[in-house]
Amino acid sequence: MMSLPFVLFACAIGAAWLRQRGMSVGFWLVGLVTMLILFRIHVTEVLSIQL
Amino acid sequence: MSAELSRLLNALGLIAIGAVLTMAFIDQVWFGELPCPLCILQRAGLIAAGCGIALNIVFGPKPSHYGLTIIGAIASAGISIRQILLHIVPGTGFYGPDVWGLHLYTWAFLFAVAIVLGSALMLLGDRQFSQVQLISGRLKALPFIALILFFVLTIANIFSTLALCGTGLCPENPVDYELFHMND
Repeated sequence: MMSLPFVLFACAIGAAWLRQRGMSVGFWLVGLVTMLILFRIHVTEVLSIQL
Repeated sequence: MSAELSRLLNALGLIAIGAVLTMAFIDQVWFGELPCPLCILQRAGLIAAGCGIALNIVFGPKPSHYGLTIIGAIASAGISIRQILLHIVPGTGFYGPDVWGLHLYTWAFLFAVAIVLGSALMLLGDRQFSQVQLISGRLKALPFIALILFFVLTIANIFSTLALCGTGLCPENPVDYELFHMND
């Protein structure tokens, strides 16, 4: 599951290579959202910054 | 700045991102420092930023491509800040070795800020956008190599992450490659 953003970004680069700009941006956007969702899943610990 | 010069500078930027990703791999494979989940997501953020640069190389410079680069770099910086804050209080430990006094997640943050600044500076060159229609469709050697390097590193990250985390989420403190111990 953690490799999903990389897969989507690789698809974005591949689509750019094939000169499909819209598809490339689409893959990039889905990859970014996936990355942020995975970030949210991994951020479970509350920060304790008490100086 | 001409569109061709812009394309060359974008290629250099993509090579810089490739160099950082390569160093992360050297640290992982050569020194055996397995990346944590946030470290992996920082790499993904850098690749997201690199995709905007790759679009500039393939289609010619556009403000929207720089926008993608800046958004990707900000996402990467945000993930780095989270990790920095996890360890900012003295006595709360750290993750991985330090390089010249700074841990890799701090370097990742500084690099992401550099990408944002670099993109902002590139956006100042208005002439590159008016010459888009004149740009050659055929890539020169350096942009071509930069694209190939970036693509190969992205693919390498797919396999590395798959080996490290298997098909699920990554362990917080990985000690071994999950994929090779799935049947244990």
